[in-house]
Amino acid sequence: MDVNLSELMAALPDDDLSSTANAAWAQEQLREILADLAQRPAPAGSLHRLWTLSELSAQIALAYLALWIRRWFSDAEASKRRLMETNLRVALKTFHRLGYLRGAMTKLGQAAGNLPGILPGQVADTLDRLHFEAPPMHYALIREVVRNEFGKESEELFLSFEKEAFAAASVGQVHRARLKSGERVAVKIQYPGIARTIDADFRNLSALVLPLRLGKDWESVKAQFEEVRRMLNQEVDYLQEAESQRLARELFRPEDGIVVPRAYPEYSGKRVLTTDYVQGLHLQDYLATNPTQASRNAFGTKIYISWMRMYYAFMPYVDPHPGNYLFLSDGSLGLIDFGCVQHYGPEERELVRMADKMAYEDPSIIPEVVQRACGVSANDPELEGYVRMMEESLDWMMEPVRQPGAFDFGDEAHFQRGVDWFSRVVRKRHLRAHPMYVYWNRSVFGFKALLYRLRAQVDVHAVVRQERPGW
Amino acid sequence: MRITAEAKSATRLRILQAATSLFVSDGWQNTTTRGIAVAAGIATGTLFNYFPTKEAIAAALVAEAMERAGEEFRAGRREEVSLEADLFSLIWSGLRHLREFRKFLAPASDTIFSPLARQSPDSPGDAIRVDHLELVEAIVTSHGFSAPRPAVTVQLYWTLYLGVFAYWAADDSPGQEDTLALLDQSLKLFVASLGIDQGRGTYGRQSQ
Ligand SMILES: Nc1ncnc2c1ncn2[C@@H]1O[C@H](COP(=O)(O)OP(=O)(O)O)[C@@H](O)[C@H]1O
Ligand SMILES: [Mg+2]
Repeated sequence: MDVNLSELMAALPDDDLSSTANAAWAQEQLREILADLAQRPAPAGSLHRLWTLSELSAQIALAYLALWIRRWFSDAEASKRRLMETNLRVALKTFHRLGYLRGAMTKLGQAAGNLPGILPGQVADTLDRLHFEAPPMHYALIREVVRNEFGKESEELFLSFEKEAFAAASVGQVHRARLKSGERVAVKIQYPGIARTIDADFRNLSALVLPLRLGKDWESVKAQFEEVRRMLNQEVDYLQEAESQRLARELFRPEDGIVVPRAYPEYSGKRVLTTDYVQGLHLQDYLATNPTQASRNAFGTKIYISWMRMYYAFMPYVDPHPGNYLFLSDGSLGLIDFGCVQHYGPEERELVRMADKMAYEDPSIIPEVVQRACGVSANDPELEGYVRMMEESLDWMMEPVRQPGAFDFGDEAHFQRGVDWFSRVVRKRHLRAHPMYVYWNRSVFGFKALLYRLRAQVDVHAVVRQERPGW
Repeated sequence: MRITAEAKSATRLRILQAATSLFVSDGWQNTTTRGIAVAAGIATGTLFNYFPTKEAIAAALVAEAMERAGEEFRAGRREEVSLEADLFSLIWSGLRHLREFRKFLAPASDTIFSPLARQSPDSPGDAIRVDHLELVEAIVTSHGFSAPRPAVTVQLYWTLYLGVFAYWAADDSPGQEDTLALLDQSLKLFVASLGIDQGRGTYGRQSQ
């Protein structure tokens, strides 16, 4: 993939910032940091390789950081510039020093949704790569992590335990094992200390950046930033994941053909997650078998159903990453990885109900929904712009519903319209939103990217009829 | 007057036990050889027959724990394990055996270990260093990296080891997980310095 930072920067909104010295300075700093990072070789086995992300992911994250910075600078009052500059300088230094913070930044990039001006195929591929990469662990280390968590050796705890991992996780790795009661399980093990490190660094960075009060949308941006931090912390707590998985599992029946493996809390802890092993293919391996259109449609439909079911259960699956779906030989869909599930409270639920009414029944409530969802008051001059943004979003989201019959998610133009919409939102700086939408955007784009790659045709009407609750 | 070997080792043990509890309760700085002698019920002069300094006492405690760890390591060693994993097991097992001494080893390690891998026969931890480095030599050799090794390789190992040791002694993270990470990363660096890539981490990186 040949996207580089300058292209990404070029794709970002072109505004009046070049006139302010600070913005130019910040951009220059970022360029230098990037150049420095790019120059450093990552020799095999050395510390440099630790915590690295693919260069592309880092660049995307940096580009988003650049975007944020440019936005702040444009809105800030001159009197605050000096303080900002100092804090920013420190923040940039911190960012530079802690290579793996690029991981956190990457998550911000993901959370912001998608990238303007990039081809859908590239976006879909990119969603694959935006992840932390913890160094692989040998068994001697695995044993100690298990011992820390359970006070027991893995040999005592399990009937058998494979010493080699069979899959990588974003902050750890996954081993096959067998419980004493006979079940085959997948044991996800987290690299030691990574959760606390991510949290601490994210806190440090927040402490530098959040008090800055830059711009009129600052409170909203801050809340969104906090939401990312909250979700990151949730994602690295495997006990919470086990609980989300238990709740998700209750949503599906055998006739759905959607398998959520059972999580075993007694064999899980903050850093270790044990779930039933699911035998299946990842998307790319499944596609490599040249599946029929009918098979792809059936899987696409199941993906759609699983996504809607969880959304309407107020626990949206906000990481529809291809690695989290398994294609089983009997046609069932395996759904794994519940680290990134949101649990909506009363406020978010109310917004879901309103949005649903707006989408399916009564478009006249759009302004009302916008006021609630984006915190834009009725007399705000920006309301109109936000309303238009919502109308366009709705058009795109409802396209598959409005068209009769099965909808072809392999249609590149549809995906592209979504990407275009997002880039307009960024360009117009309509970034005020309830924090729940940070992950919601990511969820929608990830989910559509998945169906796009699957080239699935899904009868969305039928799915909606089946899944939409009659509130 | 002749003292039997048995009585001698009993006294030695009493000193070590008394010292351990004082180091733990009063801290490294506040413990004196006199206090240890009193707690062990012997004259200070007698104590000096066994250990010239309190550093020497701490070194003896460490040496014994390390010896037990070495035995445990040899017993549990499996053939198919990588060099990195082997060294990891050895070092972590040493630290595990030292767990009860952790708190006072933080200030003590400065004075019992020399940061130089060679030419430090005067430091109280010298014997520990020699034994440990010999064992490490043997492990590295058994993985097909034949001796002699450049002195700088040994020095790199020792520097990393002392760094991990000092970090561990003051590590308050749950289960000392931060030390686990530091040790892992230090060993990756060391193994890389030997000029080999053991080729781990080849499993499905693309899937998450
Ligand atoms: N229960 C399971 N059955 C089969 N494979 C699994 C299971 N759990 C995890 N895996 C494998 O491990 C990979 C990473 O697990 P995942 O839970 O997605 O980690 P992360 O939360 O870091 O993304 C998955 O893509 C899959 O290949
Ligand atoms: Mg995953």
